[in-house]
Amino acid sequence: MALLSLKDVTKNFGITEIIRGVSLDIVEGEKHAIIGPNGAGKSTLFHLISGRYNVSAGSIHFKEQQIENKPPYEIARMGLARSFQVTNIFQRMSVFENIRCALFWSKGYGYSFWHLLGRQTELNDEAMHVLEQIGLADKAKFPSGELAYAEQRALELGVAVASGAELIMLDEPVAGMSHSEAENAVELIRKITEGKTLIMVEHDMNIVFDVADRISVLVYGEIIATDKPKNIRANPKVQEAYLGEAHNA
Amino acid sequence: MMALLKKSSIWIAFLIALLGLPLLFDSILAISILNQMAIAIVFALSYNMLLGQGGMLSFGHAVYFGLGGFLSVHALMLIEYETMVFSILWIPLIGGLFGLLAGIFIGSFSTRKAGTVFAMISLGIGELIAASSLIFSSFFGGEAGISGDRTFGPTFFGFDFAQNIEIYYVAAVWAFIATLFMWLFTQTPAGRMANAVRDNPERAEFIGYSSRKVRFISFCASGMFAGIAGGLFALNYEFITEENLNAATSGRVLLMAYIGGLGYFIGPIIGAVVLTLMNSLLSNYSELWMLYLGIMFLLTVMFLPRGFAGFIMMHQLAWVRGNMKMLIKPYIITGIPALLFALCAIALIEMSHTEDEVFHYLGFALNPASPVTWIVILAIAGGAFYAVKRSFNQLNDAWETANAIPKEEES
Ligand SMILES: Nc1ncnc2c1ncn2[C@@H]1O[C@H](COP(=O)(O)OP(=O)(O)OP(=O)(O)O)[C@@H](O)[C@H]1O
Ligand SMILES: [Mg+2]
Repeated sequence: MALLSLKDVTKNFGITEIIRGVSLDIVEGEKHAIIGPNGAGKSTLFHLISGRYNVSAGSIHFKEQQIENKPPYEIARMGLARSFQVTNIFQRMSVFENIRCALFWSKGYGYSFWHLLGRQTELNDEAMHVLEQIGLADKAKFPSGELAYAEQRALELGVAVASGAELIMLDEPVAGMSHSEAENAVELIRKITEGKTLIMVEHDMNIVFDVADRISVLVYGEIIATDKPKNIRANPKVQEAYLGEAHNA
Repeated sequence: MMALLKKSSIWIAFLIALLGLPLLFDSILAISILNQMAIAIVFALSYNMLLGQGGMLSFGHAVYFGLGGFLSVHALMLIEYETMVFSILWIPLIGGLFGLLAGIFIGSFSTRKAGTVFAMISLGIGELIAASSLIFSSFFGGEAGISGDRTFGPTFFGFDFAQNIEIYYVAAVWAFIATLFMWLFTQTPAGRMANAVRDNPERAEFIGYSSRKVRFISFCASGMFAGIAGGLFALNYEFITEENLNAATSGRVLLMAYIGGLGYFIGPIIGAVVLTLMNSLLSNYSELWMLYLGIMFLLTVMFLPRGFAGFIMMHQLAWVRGNMKMLIKPYIITGIPALLFALCAIALIEMSHTEDEVFHYLGFALNPASPVTWIVILAIAGGAFYAVKRSFNQLNDAWETANAIPKEEES
């Protein structure tokens, strides 16, 4: 049974149809990459799954429960976490607070105004542990808005994965990083998504073929192929629509 | 034990200051000012729960203060007529309860969005409640307001609270408790999520929180503390009118919090103290004090966007590096002409306003009718302005050196 299942999902903005009937099953534990040219609708698809946008038609099921058109916080509470293509953190709060806030819900704090955070040793240790994993432990007290770009991306990732969600969706997690930064980030992603299900949008083919168990190719709002990396590489439709184009560029 | 003592030392100092101030300043005027300060501190802190911590710009915060105050005066009347029997010590809780209820009711729809929508709703509600208070005069007493008497009900160890100093101690203790609880709120998940939603309401939803509900909780808490401040007001003045819940009062609390510094917990406390002092002292000297208040607000917004507290905190780095002494001289060199300029500006403003033949100012007897007076003051002001401008670069340089990373640390 698929962990996440999309069925004939479409999305229009006004009269333009951006997602044109996407059906996709994500199996539990797989690392799934979504590739496609700029403007294909990859981020839009992420927004539909995570509840930022409502679908125009079709259905989305997560853990066999219908989630389309639910508010993002309900979907997040079910165990679906995501990061954003454009860094989307809590700018004026410290790095540590960013991570700790991301932990609150999964640790059962809810909207509590009766727990004093200074006393929640387990929570605070866990937040420090996440910071160590993403390599920001020494910047814990820094205002997150003042971090360098790569560090902000690492924090973006940290906020997404801190809660220990089963399904993690990363939208271009290494875009804009230098080669060595990207290498570190990929290592990090591999480490923290171990044993979890991952959906990742990524343009860098080396990373995609390296990390993914399966790849879906999205072109003009349609998935033209979903398969193992080596079959995707050999697929003529994909070569024509995407890979060829990328090689020519 | 020592750690706990160290952690709470600032709170102990705060409590000692609150309780000790009337020993240092014991005139009738001083006690009245201290009473106003205690009220203003609670009110301004409650406002900052919205704007500074929750990112909600409200133009109608006096509603919760005023409603809390009105209900408190009604409670005083009930005590007076012996419909209810309890000590007036608990009146601020009545204010808080009704501030909270008003917060729950109004917050249930106004916190749906932050930003402009929230600000406009707060303005609308403020106008609505202020207008209603004049219409429903059996409850609000019309323009005259309503009044009570705090000397009824059971006494507290023999105190009947007839004296202002007695009520000050009541206000001081309540202000301490309210401040402590507002600070503790910032240390809870709900308090931290308020900051998160302020910074990025969208992302907050993706870590499991409804931004609206987070705002709603802060909003209710803020209404409750504003209501407590209203209850303290009722106890101190024993009357309350429409003025205490209208837009002018809402504007004043915004000024307090802003001038003090929204980004710091202590900011609104500083703002409340400074504005209460200005309000009480300046208004004795000049009819134009509201004008000066406006100018101060403008200057703060333009030059100290993080308020007085932000200005003080700016020096943290220089302090840590032991470089404060580098700044003293440049501050004095720029500060003296700046002060001179301000004094000249005040003289000019007052002279345009006065109708007297002779205007007494700082020991000088000035003649507002003579052009010479004007020319001389303008000349001094011009010279002072020039001196400020010239010395400002030096101040800037000194600032840079004081904050620069020492050579050894660089590498
Ligand atoms: N809110 C919106 N309103 C209207 N059009 C939108 C909206 N969001 C996205 N689009 C359009 O939908 C198309 C797909 O955008 P999307 O961001 O999903 O692409 P993408 O595949 O993520 O591209 P990239 O690789 O550049 O990130 C684009 O043409 C974009 O202009
Ligand atoms: Mg995108």
